[in-house]
Amino acid sequence: MEYLYGLIIIVGLYVILATSFNLIIGYGGLVSIAHPVFFALGAYASAVLARDFAVPVPLAMPAGALVALVASIALALPSLRVSGDYLLIASIGFQLGLLEVIKNLRITGGSGGFSNIPPFLIRDVGRESYVGLVLATMVAVILLVRWIARSDYGRAMSAMRDDELAFASIGRNAMWMKIAIFGFGSGIAGLAGALYAHYFRFVTPEQFELVQSAAILTMVVVGGMRTTWGPVVGALLLEALPQALTFLNFPPSILGPVQGLLFTGLVLVFMFFRPQGLVPAQDVWRGARKAGESR
Amino acid sequence: MLDATIILQILWTSLATSSYYVLFAVAFSLVLKVTRLFNFAQAAIMTIAFYTAFVAVQWLEWPAWAAFAAMMAATLAASYGLERVGFEALRKRGVSVMFVFVFTLMVSEFVAYVAMLIFGTWPQTVFPVIFWPVTLVGNIAISAWDLPAIGATVGALALLFVFMRFTRVGAFMTGVADNPDLAELYGINKRRIFLVAMLMAGAFSALGMFLYGTRAQVLPQTGLSLMLFAVAATIMGGIGNVAGAAIAAVILGVIQNASILVISSEWQGFLLYVFLFLAIVFFPNGLRLPQRRGRFAPAAREILSEQDAPAAEA
Amino acid sequence: MASVLEVRGLNKSFGGIVVARNVDLTLHSGRVVGLIGPNGAGKTSLFNLISGVVKPDTGTVLLDGMPLDRLKFHQRIHRGLSRTWQHVRLFPSLPVIDNLLIATHDYPGERLLNVLFGRGRLKAHDRIARAKATDILAAMGLAKVADALVSDLPYGQQKLVGVARALMGEAKCLLLDEPMAGVEGASYAAMQRVVREVADRGVAVCVVEHNVAFVRDLCDEGVFMFAGAIMARGSVAELVRDPQLTELYFGH
Repeated sequence: MEYLYGLIIIVGLYVILATSFNLIIGYGGLVSIAHPVFFALGAYASAVLARDFAVPVPLAMPAGALVALVASIALALPSLRVSGDYLLIASIGFQLGLLEVIKNLRITGGSGGFSNIPPFLIRDVGRESYVGLVLATMVAVILLVRWIARSDYGRAMSAMRDDELAFASIGRNAMWMKIAIFGFGSGIAGLAGALYAHYFRFVTPEQFELVQSAAILTMVVVGGMRTTWGPVVGALLLEALPQALTFLNFPPSILGPVQGLLFTGLVLVFMFFRPQGLVPAQDVWRGARKAGESR
Repeated sequence: MLDATIILQILWTSLATSSYYVLFAVAFSLVLKVTRLFNFAQAAIMTIAFYTAFVAVQWLEWPAWAAFAAMMAATLAASYGLERVGFEALRKRGVSVMFVFVFTLMVSEFVAYVAMLIFGTWPQTVFPVIFWPVTLVGNIAISAWDLPAIGATVGALALLFVFMRFTRVGAFMTGVADNPDLAELYGINKRRIFLVAMLMAGAFSALGMFLYGTRAQVLPQTGLSLMLFAVAATIMGGIGNVAGAAIAAVILGVIQNASILVISSEWQGFLLYVFLFLAIVFFPNGLRLPQRRGRFAPAAREILSEQDAPAAEA
Repeated sequence: MASVLEVRGLNKSFGGIVVARNVDLTLHSGRVVGLIGPNGAGKTSLFNLISGVVKPDTGTVLLDGMPLDRLKFHQRIHRGLSRTWQHVRLFPSLPVIDNLLIATHDYPGERLLNVLFGRGRLKAHDRIARAKATDILAAMGLAKVADALVSDLPYGQQKLVGVARALMGEAKCLLLDEPMAGVEGASYAAMQRVVREVADRGVAVCVVEHNVAFVRDLCDEGVFMFAGAIMARGSVAELVRDPQLTELYFGH
């Protein structure tokens, strides 16, 4: 039973990661591979605050999300000042570089990992409640991203993706919108990290490597960018596949690369042959239909 | 302690080791200049290059020159495939910049995973031993690797220079780099020029990896890290400025090596990412090196000046 | 007749080509200035320089006496500038009316916080913006296509929508880049009417155009550009009659 709970929580967290990443690259039109590092920042920040600074977990978790949000703005602000393309390069440097830092700092436990993270709910109320917490957060994130995409903000994002020069010509500030989206999406990833940390109670830098970037990207690209359910489908599918792989009894040294091959291979195949993903997005901004109906 | 000998030693060693950095940076920068693509698949090319040489030397036991030739052949084939099968298809579809970035990055990661599967995750080198005899000149240790490495790099750069300045294809490449559509109007075959640029970059990358792999250990992910260095150098040198990228690569290489005086070795890897970040934040337009002015025919004025101006300027 | 936009000594060259050579230009409230000249004269480049898409080498641009030089493109729009594009540049993912709704001077939906916590503000703003957008579309005879997708409209109507979008921001100064190119019939008449109405409301308008009839009927004054420099100013009728300018225009 405990195995099942762990699995559901992992899937739930990946849905949250994929959905928030979809906000950034799908709706925001930003290119970045740095999502796992914000997942990591949220996890580590919350864990360190709770274990070593005696911050109660319900406070540590949002603090973790906040750390991820602030860090993401520190990345996005100088990069986007230059151009959107630079954000990708900077995000590679940020993802790889910050992970190096985590591997070498004593406060994070170095490459050995950070253990004995204070639990939350699982001792007092039971593991089921934590599963409920994660699933509730997942649903909230899905609905929130959906709402944003269909709102006036989503309308502006759609225009920004269409033609940034024309967007500027109507007085809209694309840069601030991008920073806000990036921060918001990364903050959600940080929250997912905190949720991860206080259930599994052990984090290592390996869990946040480039293969996770590929995995999350695959979930969004294969599932379908700019749709509500695409990332969900992608996350479910791509979490189910590795589980299927474990039944094939690969030795651990093979399992890692095979997973990596699977993810990158899927991205390549889908980008080449079915770029719209499994759940295709419409070309028109969805919110327009709602507005039309109300008249 | 800041001893003159130590400083000179570090300067010499970093100069020698920046040889491969220069080659990687020139490769990346050249492709960017001519095709306007950030070719993140260069890491894949580099990985293929190294492991071909490795297999040739250590599994097939071929002599060094044969391994080098095999490496070049494999690299050029891979570059050819990447350009003709990959990039051409993407260009035809008119995909966005993001698409190309992600695609090329995924290609590099894919190749890295294949390498992990075949070769495992322990470090390898081209030759079983990376020990090179050392001669003392004054008090500076000069490895038998250093001079050939620098020589090969300088030779390659010289060839590039001659090619770009004095051959027809080289002039065409400059034309396509300046203005691909205009070049097409003048009858230059863009497709072929893009392929030439990719092949040349592949050759440079392969040479660089051969040098690197005969001196240091390589993991499947090494290609990606080395390529990031090339990206940083390209940005610092100025986009479209291959000479600038080469110079930036040398400077970055020297700084990275010299940093051993101030920071511990485990943080040196981190330094690379700091460079990248600094390059992006402070040198988005690169260090200004004087560029040759393009010459435009009078007919070109109409085509160029009445278009919507590039938004990037504001 | 207040001066709204002033361009002083604008110079710009791109790698050997001079697109602006010591350009001085003043746009007055309520007057329509026609910017004419052969292809390559630098007319669109001038618009790009004024609006801030491109940075000049030297010179300054003032709006209501305030220098715009440090301001970015979108910031200048906020100060009261507005422009259209030669190639229209509407947002294909949005219906016509939404193209206009996001072009208001203030757009609370631009802030994520408003979306999350300020729905009342969004609704109130939407009502006002929608009323204005419907009015403008009606004035152009486009009321029926408000919910249509941009790609479903004929080119002439798309250009009108482009102008409509530029009007949503209540600008003091309007730059129209070849509004008539490719436009004919009902849309042509509508465009003429709209531009005149806008000017009558006190907006300073500058139009880049090749369509001589349009320029002659609509513009209060003409400015002839060639090779980045202003060669002549005067009434459109005078400019059109001048044999030297005609030579430059066609003989080039």
